[in-house]
Amino acid sequence: MPEYRTHTRTDTRASTEQQLESAWRVVVLNDPVNLMSYVVMVFKKVLGFDETKARKHMLEVHEQGRSIVWTGVRETAEAHVFTLQQWHLTAVLEPDETR
Amino acid sequence: MKRVEVKLSLPVVAPLLDVIRELSFELEKILAAPQALHDLDQEFRGAWIGELLEGQNEDLRALLALFDGEFFAEGVVALDETNAEPIVRACTAFRLHLRERRLKALSDEALETGDIDMEGLDEPVRKAFMCYLFLATVQELIIQHLDSTIIGS
Repeated sequence: MPEYRTHTRTDTRASTEQQLESAWRVVVLNDPVNLMSYVVMVFKKVLGFDETKARKHMLEVHEQGRSIVWTGVRETAEAHVFTLQQWHLTAVLEPDETR
Repeated sequence: MKRVEVKLSLPVVAPLLDVIRELSFELEKILAAPQALHDLDQEFRGAWIGELLEGQNEDLRALLALFDGEFFAEGVVALDETNAEPIVRACTAFRLHLRERRLKALSDEALETGDIDMEGLDEPVRKAFMCYLFLATVQELIIQHLDSTIIGS
């Protein structure tokens, strides 16, 4: 996984700090290729979900096109997105605007 | 070490390896699943994609390594805790790329259900679809028969 870049430019530091402190969502989007059993396995492995929770999120992805699988600090959210992408799931990072 | 040996039909699987090798070559420099990375700055995005590509290529090599001398002599491939994860990921990468580059003529619904008249397909599409199904079978085998101690959950 890439090293987390240290922003040194003064003009970007404030916004970077703000980004790191606010809450971010990890969202998995539907794709027509991945097997349901594969998606469940990846959720269990990457996010530590039990079988029930993994199946619930897999069905949400399948039926609603997306599922928020994790919310929290940006650095951890990025790490989850990267790992989900290593498993070829379509995962995106979104700011959590509900907080 | 838990190990699963699978006996494959050599005459059926061997021709599919040509497709898999072609896909592997095509995927050397592109991600099987292009990702939206709008929230990352350009420099970080480059490093991110580079690491994903490196991992993808390692996974593809692990799958290709299954089809070694033992496979061509006996039709047997061996899955174990060292290769299960990369292979299951490689199957996904190949399937995503097959859909994108070889199976555009088939609807997603048809690909999902497998309800396709094979006789009605042109040879390259038929071979690509066989490959798509074969890779799904390998994935199912790994997920069903190699438990969580192997998959490492």
